[in-house]
Amino acid sequence: MSEISFPIKDLMRRKFQTALTIIGLTICTAATVFLVLFGENVGFEIAVVTGGRSTIGFSNVFSRFVFIVSFLNILAGVLVTFFLVYWSMSERVHDVGVMKATGCLASIAFGYFITELSIIIFTSCIAGTAIGVLTYFVCINVLNALGFPLLQNSVNLWTILPIFLIFVVASHILGTRPIIKAIRVKPADALSPLYSFEATSRKEFGKPVSSKLGLTFKMAYRALIRRRSATRRAIICLATVLTLTTVTVAGGIIASQTTQSYVERAVNRDIIVVGHSDVSMRYVNMLSQFFEAKETEEIDYLNLRYNLSESLISELNAIPGVLKVDPRLVLETTVYEVQGFIIDPEEPDPYILVGDNRSGKALVLGVQPDYVINDWLIFGRFLNDTDVYSAVIGDSLALEMFDDPQKQAVIVFEQDFEIAGVCLDPLNNGNVVYVPLNVLSTLIDGTHNYNLVFLKVNAPRRLEVLAEIEKMELAPVELNEVLGRHLAFLGYVWSFVMFLPLFSFVTAILCLLSYMMLSVAGQQREFGMMRALGAKPKMVMKIVFMEALIVTLISGAVGIFVGLLFTFAFLIPDPVISQFTLLSVIGLLVLALGLLCLFSLYPAVRVAKKSVASVLSQP
Amino acid sequence: MTQMKEKVICTSSLCKEYQISDLTIKALNGLNLEILAGEFISIYGSSGAGKTTLLNIIGGLDQPTSGKIVVFGHDLSTYDEDFLATFRSAYIGFVFQSYNLISTLTALENVMFPMELAGWSEERVRERSEMLLEMFGLSHRADHLSAQLSGGEQQRVTFARALANDPPLMLVDEPTGNLDMETGLEIVRILEKLKAKGKTILVAAHDARIERLANRTLHLQDGRIVPANE
Repeated sequence: MSEISFPIKDLMRRKFQTALTIIGLTICTAATVFLVLFGENVGFEIAVVTGGRSTIGFSNVFSRFVFIVSFLNILAGVLVTFFLVYWSMSERVHDVGVMKATGCLASIAFGYFITELSIIIFTSCIAGTAIGVLTYFVCINVLNALGFPLLQNSVNLWTILPIFLIFVVASHILGTRPIIKAIRVKPADALSPLYSFEATSRKEFGKPVSSKLGLTFKMAYRALIRRRSATRRAIICLATVLTLTTVTVAGGIIASQTTQSYVERAVNRDIIVVGHSDVSMRYVNMLSQFFEAKETEEIDYLNLRYNLSESLISELNAIPGVLKVDPRLVLETTVYEVQGFIIDPEEPDPYILVGDNRSGKALVLGVQPDYVINDWLIFGRFLNDTDVYSAVIGDSLALEMFDDPQKQAVIVFEQDFEIAGVCLDPLNNGNVVYVPLNVLSTLIDGTHNYNLVFLKVNAPRRLEVLAEIEKMELAPVELNEVLGRHLAFLGYVWSFVMFLPLFSFVTAILCLLSYMMLSVAGQQREFGMMRALGAKPKMVMKIVFMEALIVTLISGAVGIFVGLLFTFAFLIPDPVISQFTLLSVIGLLVLALGLLCLFSLYPAVRVAKKSVASVLSQP
Repeated sequence: MTQMKEKVICTSSLCKEYQISDLTIKALNGLNLEILAGEFISIYGSSGAGKTTLLNIIGGLDQPTSGKIVVFGHDLSTYDEDFLATFRSAYIGFVFQSYNLISTLTALENVMFPMELAGWSEERVRERSEMLLEMFGLSHRADHLSAQLSGGEQQRVTFARALANDPPLMLVDEPTGNLDMETGLEIVRILEKLKAKGKTILVAAHDARIERLANRTLHLQDGRIVPANE
């Protein structure tokens, strides 16, 4: 028999175990490839997708999510492979013993098993990569069909190759360990029916569990302790996968709601924009850049016909149902970075220069701080009435053009403005500068006051307000629809990212299933014995289920705790956690754990269905 | 007047076939057998003659392919697995050649196990288990796991466990097969005591000492009972 045909035949003979291992690794590889490709398109490079940047602040939330989940995914994939190989080898120790007893050299036996491992790893990684790429294209096409024009970038080989290599190399390294251990087992031990691969010795058994906890619990607990090494591995593996599931479920839900809340606060609800239609439309287009790339003609904001008079502002203010009037002067211009200093007393020269002399196009908005209708997420502070040469800049501008924005200044129309804060703003993809209106007006020529007015209206009286404005022969634009599309876009993007919990959940099922198969295989004879002594099949199922429950609960507690820690500590700044969010997260995680336990019944049913005589007659 | 003994086991045309690939193996081939209460039966036969299969079917561990098997008035081929489990718990004590102790339980817990399954009170279970271990001279090994016991000790624990629920029928498969002469003798003495207690005992064995204890010896060959000289 050739050196390759034996491992292939052997893998084919053990179809179930081989399939389980391949599926586990395939899912992990596919999830990582999909996530990184999708993240590259939606998260890291959303700018390319939408013809500008969604805002770097938002992209950061996506990219951090993608990074953490990818990292956990790779870790889970490698651990699952290690565990599956370990499980597979623990079942093969007897075969190893037979091979060695018949004179097969340890190196040849090692070669056979390593070839099997390589076949599994390469098959899984190639299939996983293909499925990941395919899923990515399907998702992009579905998003396009739903009206969100995402570019279908060609797949970057340099993105996929490292993932493929990481999985192949790490799986080989970790998978080889149990093979070496199995090969080292003495033939006499390996052939003994009493030998159990890496079973715990009597000394390690610890205190016997009280029989008051019930026979089922006692049997399950003892079995877990007996296979302490495998149990520990299973718990680590499952806890990692459940951390991943928690991050994707909790992180996904919270990040989705938080980013939607950022947008909602930045745009605000029930806002009507009043101004010349050229300026209004230009503004709406700039606001829509977040989810849709549109080329619009540039306009001369300083054209006198765009000017809005004080009397008009007063009239708008007088309309019943208008809660707040926020008049603004909007312009587009090039802004410049001003270097700043930070003080480090430990350095010989304590004044350290930060920043450069970069410049970029931005939307500049002159605002009256007291009347501003938006409630952005701000790092630093917003403007107040006493501010003169202070500015608040958008997140993309801050991250692209400044090193330490709050220690620097921005030049607008040749005037330096200290940066008071950075806001997360979808307007013009975060390339915005807010300055005091009177200062901006003076800087231009003093003749321009306002060219856009934002009205916060009482929602039930919205139509009345619109009718009143139209009577004034003005063209009002409602922002609710634009806001709706912002939220829908974020919702769709996150809903695709939310596919990931499915991937990680399937991995978790495979992980627990493998452990339970290992556990059941090791205890099969004892289960047969118990049944011979009068235990009903249901009791055997209860013991197996209890084992799964203990492993799941321990792994779940660890995984969910670490997952939530990851989510809150690294994933989302200022997370929005409503009661609904909390209930959804808890509900989904409990459902996942419940389903996980339910799937563990499969090996239990399998063993309970076997005839006692056939189980007892096995070596 | 001689009291009529109860018929505890009755088989008619009992067949058991195994299918291995295209090959059909007849482990039992139309076996007819009657065993009375209190009988000590030794089953003799070469490897593959059907001894273990017969014990498994009598104990409700396996189902016949055809024929009838009635044990203590129960036609075992008509019951489901749950009933058979309860039946085994109440009527059968098993002793296997390879001991089959539950590796995660101590000697004492192994003996306690069948009684716990039967739902006895904790106090009664412990008391009887300790008594049984003492009876087999294993009190000092009560807290040891099976892996820490010698072959003879493991076999004695198996006997103690088989007697836990005080079953009327003992099915013993090659009890001395894995033991040395001296330890084997201990087992023979145990069987002698059980016989004296009036238990119905079926022993599959190649041990002449056990054969001598038996009221009758069944010679099995190719799944059939044959005369001793065949």
